[in-house]
Amino acid sequence: MSPVEHHIHGRAYWQSLEQLAESDEVRQQVEREFPDLASEGASRRDFLKLMAASMTLAGLTLTGCRRWPEQRVVPYAARPEGRAPGAPERYATQMEVAGVAKPLLVTSYDGRPIKVEGNPEHPASGGAADAHAQASVLQLYDPDRSRRPVERDGERTRYQHWANFERFAGEHFAAHRETGGRGLAVLAEASASPSLLDMRRRFQKAYPEARWHTYEPLLDHNAIAGARRSFGRPVRRHWHLDKATVVAAFDVDLLGAHPNAARHARAWAARRRQADKGEMNRLYAVESNYTVTGAAADHRHVARHGSVAELLGALAAELGVVEAASSEPTPEWVKVLARDLRAHRGDALVAVGAAQPPQAHALADAVNDAIGAAGGPVTYTDEPLAGDPGLVELAGRMRAGEVDTLVILGGNPVYDAPADAGFGEALDKVGTTIHLGLYRDETARRCRWHLPRAHYMEAWGDARSWDGAAGIAQPLIQPLFDGRSPIELLALLTGDEKRDGEQIVRRSWQRWLPASDFEAAWRRVVHDGIAPETRLAPVSVEASPVSAPASDGNGEHFDLLFMPDPGVFDGRFANLGWLQETPNPMTTVTWDNPALLAKRDADALGVSTGEMVTIEHGGRSLDIPVYIMPGQAPGTIGLTVGYGRGEEAGRIAAGTGFDTYRLRTGDAPWAATGARLRKAGGSYALAMTQNHHLIDTHGYETRQERAAHLVHETTLDHYREDPHFVDRHEGGGHEKTISLPLWDDPESLDSGAGYKWGMAIDLNSCIGCNACVVACQAENNVPVVGKSEVLNSREMQWLRIDRYFRGDRDDESPAAVHQPVPCMHCENAPCEQVCPVAATVHDTEGLNVMIYNRCIGVRYCSNNCPYKVRRFNFMDYHSRSPGETHRPWLGIPDTEQRKEVIELKRMHLNPEVTVRMRGVMEKCTYCTQRINAAKFQAKEEHAKGERETERVRDGEVTPACAQACPTEAIVFGDLNDPESRVRKLHNNHRTYGLLDAHLDTKPRTKYLAKIRNPAGGGENGHGGDAHGEKGHA
Amino acid sequence: MASDDTPSPRFVFPKWANYLLPGLIVIALGGGPYVATLAGLGASAEALNEGYRPDQPVPYSHKLHAGELGIDCRYCHTTVDEESFAAIPPTQTCMNCHQKIRPESEKLALVRKSHETGEPIPWKKVHDLGDYAYFNHSMHVNKGVACVQCHGRVDRMEVVEQKEPLSMGWCLDCHREPEPRLRPRDEVTEMGWHPPADQSREELGKKLAEEYEIPGEDYMTNCSLCHR
Repeated sequence: MSPVEHHIHGRAYWQSLEQLAESDEVRQQVEREFPDLASEGASRRDFLKLMAASMTLAGLTLTGCRRWPEQRVVPYAARPEGRAPGAPERYATQMEVAGVAKPLLVTSYDGRPIKVEGNPEHPASGGAADAHAQASVLQLYDPDRSRRPVERDGERTRYQHWANFERFAGEHFAAHRETGGRGLAVLAEASASPSLLDMRRRFQKAYPEARWHTYEPLLDHNAIAGARRSFGRPVRRHWHLDKATVVAAFDVDLLGAHPNAARHARAWAARRRQADKGEMNRLYAVESNYTVTGAAADHRHVARHGSVAELLGALAAELGVVEAASSEPTPEWVKVLARDLRAHRGDALVAVGAAQPPQAHALADAVNDAIGAAGGPVTYTDEPLAGDPGLVELAGRMRAGEVDTLVILGGNPVYDAPADAGFGEALDKVGTTIHLGLYRDETARRCRWHLPRAHYMEAWGDARSWDGAAGIAQPLIQPLFDGRSPIELLALLTGDEKRDGEQIVRRSWQRWLPASDFEAAWRRVVHDGIAPETRLAPVSVEASPVSAPASDGNGEHFDLLFMPDPGVFDGRFANLGWLQETPNPMTTVTWDNPALLAKRDADALGVSTGEMVTIEHGGRSLDIPVYIMPGQAPGTIGLTVGYGRGEEAGRIAAGTGFDTYRLRTGDAPWAATGARLRKAGGSYALAMTQNHHLIDTHGYETRQERAAHLVHETTLDHYREDPHFVDRHEGGGHEKTISLPLWDDPESLDSGAGYKWGMAIDLNSCIGCNACVVACQAENNVPVVGKSEVLNSREMQWLRIDRYFRGDRDDESPAAVHQPVPCMHCENAPCEQVCPVAATVHDTEGLNVMIYNRCIGVRYCSNNCPYKVRRFNFMDYHSRSPGETHRPWLGIPDTEQRKEVIELKRMHLNPEVTVRMRGVMEKCTYCTQRINAAKFQAKEEHAKGERETERVRDGEVTPACAQACPTEAIVFGDLNDPESRVRKLHNNHRTYGLLDAHLDTKPRTKYLAKIRNPAGGGENGHGGDAHGEKGHA
Repeated sequence: MASDDTPSPRFVFPKWANYLLPGLIVIALGGGPYVATLAGLGASAEALNEGYRPDQPVPYSHKLHAGELGIDCRYCHTTVDEESFAAIPPTQTCMNCHQKIRPESEKLALVRKSHETGEPIPWKKVHDLGDYAYFNHSMHVNKGVACVQCHGRVDRMEVVEQKEPLSMGWCLDCHREPEPRLRPRDEVTEMGWHPPADQSREELGKKLAEEYEIPGEDYMTNCSLCHR
């Protein structure tokens, strides 16, 4: 077997099952970038009306020739020291999601936060911020946020003032104080915030009889219960992927959904990049649903959800940790894994996910002890989120009439509580209910009082990251809507002498910061965003013996698997357009959460993607459309939560997706067995981007062949044997095109003295997590278009992530590859050659620039772009609500013609980037505003004698995508600098330009081929196994 | 594809199309002047706002402060050599002097009010570029482009007005040939500066362009320099 044969190519890659089947729809997508305009309903008559109207308008402009509107410049009355108008400032803060902090660095212009980055000083982030953190700035300015306290009295509701609530609370809680708080209960979100815990202690001191409950829809209770079984107490497991050569992930999305995913991803990718030195880590994934971890894995094994624990038991038995539970032969891959783990003693780990039962977690603890992982790749600390009675117990007490006052501190339990808890009905039995929340959501509307909550960027607070390091969250802006934070509400309810958030946080930090030098230490922690000394100390524990789990039966019915949604999470981000419109990394579905079904199950049922099915479980049923997911385990239905809400959720979220919480019960929050599935009839339009912007060179037929040149991958063994496999493949078999440039070669403009910007994207470390997509959207004022427009292929994200599957149509687990595709900034750019007005041209540094004010919107450039990375503003998307149907221009009444973007929605826009209007083409600019900012700063410093030369140093320019990337897969820099990282990457053996060998576009963005590291060099592996052979067929 | 065997019927204009002829003639004759007028008006000084001189909420006189009193531009516009935006001074800056000087003046009523209440003074913007053009003050000032180059003799203006067209063509005139417009960095705020007697502007400009590392015309006319 020659090495090159192992290089996987040929017709093997595909993006959707429809594409494999060569459906007409896909064929049309390739031939026409934007499909028929039928949905707009434009007829010849409309066209004539439109022409007439535009002539009239042209006449109007002539008569109205005068200066543009008068503008004001409003200076400070007294400018704060050190603040320069119009200059960006960065502040460290924290965002707590489900009890775990995301450490952030937020950029603010003139007191207006606009962009979220990770805190580079914090090991939990390393500078990366995930999609949720990126989009949180949109939540700050969400016009649907709750703006005032609301009091409900029976059916009547009225707006209130905080002063009135304070008066009410003063009287009401005085009564509770006398009884010691009997009948008083609090339902809080999971939180490890030191200040909140401090206020909680004070609350319980003031009301000793009061009961404190915690509910978090996506908290990993199974892991905590498993730890109790293993160690007799709740401990948190820390997986150090940088210290493990072999990682076995049993149903755990280590790189995607895990609270510590950013750190995992960074550590994993660092080991991944060792491929060029001939060594690499190896990731095994055992899962029933296709996660990004599975896509990144070297071996992925599909197992029905209920059988994962059994397989872990088989592994434990193979390693001699437990007695084998069944007499069935151990699968071959389990033996391979066991051998691999044994061979890497002290250098390997086994991780288990939230959906697995406690016994599986305990089993993994025992295995980790046995393979010497404990203390090395796996460490343990105390679990800060363990121990409170939950919501089900509270609902029982409420029904029993034991609760007469309930304070709900954040969260939306009426929507996301287990379906069998009956929380909504129980709530009606409580006399006084007080809800603090960002939105007037389902819970708010059933409570007597609703109070607006301050966004994390509006309030003082603190939180702990996964490793326990506490950091202070400082506000970046005054509360926009009179909101208050949970600690401030607790201070009010306990009659605390400190009412101000900052004072409360300062008081609680006295236990950590030295009294002698408190102010300096406080400033340091606020500035750095982390107090490293507060990190949780590792505890030494030994796992107690376990037994292998028994088989859970044959799985006659379906298993249901509930997962956090990569976009809306548990529903709390449902009203954020950026997240709604970001395609799911595996399904590419936007604005929805279909049920994921294996092809075999779908065929048996006779349904295809987009058709409705009914899922029945525990006496409840749900109608939901199907998405046939390649690589989904037969017998398991994958469901993400957080969708299916009404207008309470906000205008963006209303009417999107399906409420899967309705099938979720208190005893099986993550996974359920015994569900039934039947065809419901009817179909539903899913806005999937998988067949949008398909790269083709010469139409559909050649596309299938060219697909092989879009992504390159091979196995580590064969890369070692044949480092030049990419060159050989790209250069061989195809005649190199003759270069006949229409314009001056940009190389000739480049004297070697200036900059030559370029980008490198390493497919080997990209995990397809979408952080870059949302970061780009935030940085570059990219609009949200709405589901109806996504269905027209009009999504506007400048950076898309193509997801390719490799394998046969009937393959149970095709491999998946993610490929981020921004503008390639071709030196020989096809778009420039067809623009009639020179609105897209090259600059001397090799940027393919797009001049919005010159563009007349003919879209020739987009048509001629082989990579399909240009985006056209078919509408004034910024001024529209994504939910509204897009009518042809003449259909809009005159009163709405000059609709401006409301001020609140304008606040998140980046002032450094032009906001584009209708009729203008746009695309990735390599974040030219950041390049300019870095150059200007270097020049200024040089002019002041603060630096040697004017030249920008490597690493001083980071585009938004590269900055957000948790795996550092995207690297940007100056190719003229011999020492720059990007130049070194461009010289790497694995590097190739997308279709460069075929089209001679000379892209400045280059890709590094993916390397998989299957055990035994590929014989048993998933990564580079026999598929390579099939590719040649 | 279905129509392969049936010849497509020839298209014949219907009779009523004849009535469109007068309209076509009007367009043919009027189109030229229409476009010419449009272009002429579009490029006229009025459209480009040369001479725009709005009344400001406070009758602040640059002629008095910058001209007669000789206060340096940077006393008020502090960020001009550090940031892209040359800051309009906060009320505090006015009050530094006016707490002592003419504290009772009628003209300063709004300034005093702003100082007391913290409400900013709503100045009207005079030099206003399109939102798609990104001008950076510090880059120009640090490279020896004087204030007077774009803003005119502010020290002679009672009320500030726009002296130059601020059009893209006008920007490019200088970007293509910056040398004659350069002066030493420490002279940029000097309104009535002249080159030393023994040197011509051109010679000095060439020397300074080299010293300040002003890039060549190719770079200076990059679209991405000003548009993002």
